[in-house]
Amino acid sequence: MAFYFGLLQTIGIHTLLGLSAYVLLLTGQLSLAQVGFFAIGAYVSGILTVIFEYHIVPGLFAGALAGGAFAFLVGFPALRVKGLMLVVATIAFSEIVRLFFFNLNWRVMVNGVEVGPDSTQGFREIRFYAANGWDTFDVVLFIWLFVIVVMAMLWWLDRVRAGATLRAVGADELAAQSSGVNIVAVKVTAMTVGGVIAGLAGGLYAHSATYVDHLTFSVLLATFAVAYPILGGLSSVFGTLIAVIFVQGILIEGMRFLGDWRNILFGLLIIVAMNFRPSGLLDGNVLSRIRRMIGHGKPDGGGRHA
Amino acid sequence: MGIDFIDVAQAIIDGLLFGSTYALIGLGFTLIFGAMHKLNMAYAASAIAGAYVGLAAIALSGLPPVLAFFLGPVASGVIGLAVYITCFRYMPASNMLAPLMASIGALFFIDEIIIHATAGSPLAFPAVMDDVYFELGEYGFRGDLIFVLVTSLVAMLVLLYVLFGTRLGLATRAVSQQVVAAELCGIASHRTNATTFVLTGVLGGLAGCMAAAAVGVISPLLTVPITVKGLIVTVIGGLGSIPGAIIAGFAVGGFENLFLLVFGVNQRDIYVFLLLFVFLVFRPNGLLGKAIKRD
Repeated sequence: MAFYFGLLQTIGIHTLLGLSAYVLLLTGQLSLAQVGFFAIGAYVSGILTVIFEYHIVPGLFAGALAGGAFAFLVGFPALRVKGLMLVVATIAFSEIVRLFFFNLNWRVMVNGVEVGPDSTQGFREIRFYAANGWDTFDVVLFIWLFVIVVMAMLWWLDRVRAGATLRAVGADELAAQSSGVNIVAVKVTAMTVGGVIAGLAGGLYAHSATYVDHLTFSVLLATFAVAYPILGGLSSVFGTLIAVIFVQGILIEGMRFLGDWRNILFGLLIIVAMNFRPSGLLDGNVLSRIRRMIGHGKPDGGGRHA
Repeated sequence: MGIDFIDVAQAIIDGLLFGSTYALIGLGFTLIFGAMHKLNMAYAASAIAGAYVGLAAIALSGLPPVLAFFLGPVASGVIGLAVYITCFRYMPASNMLAPLMASIGALFFIDEIIIHATAGSPLAFPAVMDDVYFELGEYGFRGDLIFVLVTSLVAMLVLLYVLFGTRLGLATRAVSQQVVAAELCGIASHRTNATTFVLTGVLGGLAGCMAAAAVGVISPLLTVPITVKGLIVTVIGGLGSIPGAIIAGFAVGGFENLFLLVFGVNQRDIYVFLLLFVFLVFRPNGLLGKAIKRD
């Protein structure tokens, strides 16, 4: 059972990470900086709960705010460029963050034990859950509480004007600009929201892994973060969730029996999936078919942009 | 720690020589981007994979090691074609994300095949002229790096000739400027794009062999750093600019080695990335790039 709880934690955290990239992808921007914000959230919340002995909730919020603040700061120079340049700029940002934590050494004595980030050795003592008697099931509930809140907010966002604005910028920047949308403000806002979500995910990750080091926050994880929404499709927040379950549950955990071959199959399946479903597993067509099946296919649609 | 001028100059010389491999990789990214306005993330992986194939071929057949530098690029060209067919050929033209994601899938796939075939351990790669060492006054020139530089320069000249002196190059440039107009002139755009992928694959394979020969070992761990450095070179040089990519390749190589000397191995890349940010803020179109226009 502990295995499935662990898997549920991973799926929850990766869903949040994927959703942080999803917000920015709605505006048509591909950012590999999410893993940088994720790392900032992980280290900030870890440092607060370990060194300053905060409770986890303020720790997580501080991590999320730090992620958002850095996203806001990075947003201005990075979003002046787009497409390939943005991909490269955001890779560079994530790598700078990773290398910063790779070099960060801040060991202090707390209650007679030396704790804190220890550069190449990583940050080992993030034991809030164990120290406060939370079992794995409590942690699963705690993580999924955040996942549900974030998903509900993004789902709601798609039903109000702000969501339409995000998608308008993604569909055609010039047309959106001509309709009076301030595209820089929209993109930087999306970046900041993505940074907050990624920072939150990072804090949750640090506490459920109890150990973080710079290797976790690689370009590989950054590509996973954008892979989930692209694989799942940008038509709905559920696409990201489905992709995370597909990748983490089926491709990674479900195929462990294949051993070494699993990793080879992993890349191959991504190629196959993109060739047959270039707009993602859950694209607009599938979504409207599901809506019709569950009887929501009213002609007015209530302002949806599937 | 005192750093003498001679150390700095020597570090820059070594870096510039090694930078020729970055220039080749950056050229490959720039050419593919110029042709299709899409990013091939599997490019550096196919370059490294080509070098592996070259290495395996000489190990299995007992041919002289120098032939690895010939077989590797050929293998990379074939892999480039395979990447084009699987990740780009059948994707909708307007969809930027699907081919990008598919090529990331191809990157994982190629990397894992290499890890599977070699059990994840790095292999020694034959160096050429590594026993030669030129001295010019107080400065030394490593023979193997000179070999890397000369081979890269020859490859660049051949590439420039193909692009600007042949009908194939004319077709490639036509497709990169305006696909529809090129097709109306009777150019088969898919075939031209496939040729671009083969051409850049060969170039990448050469760069992969060079990088492996200069480092002395080849490992799948090389792919991500080379991908990232190649992309940085592409952006600093200016997207789609061929001379820009060449200059930026040498510049990144030189600066990288300088940062290595001054800041040490743990912090070297931080400064390379900061250099990129300086360019993005002050010169977002790169050294020689044209202003970004709406197409």
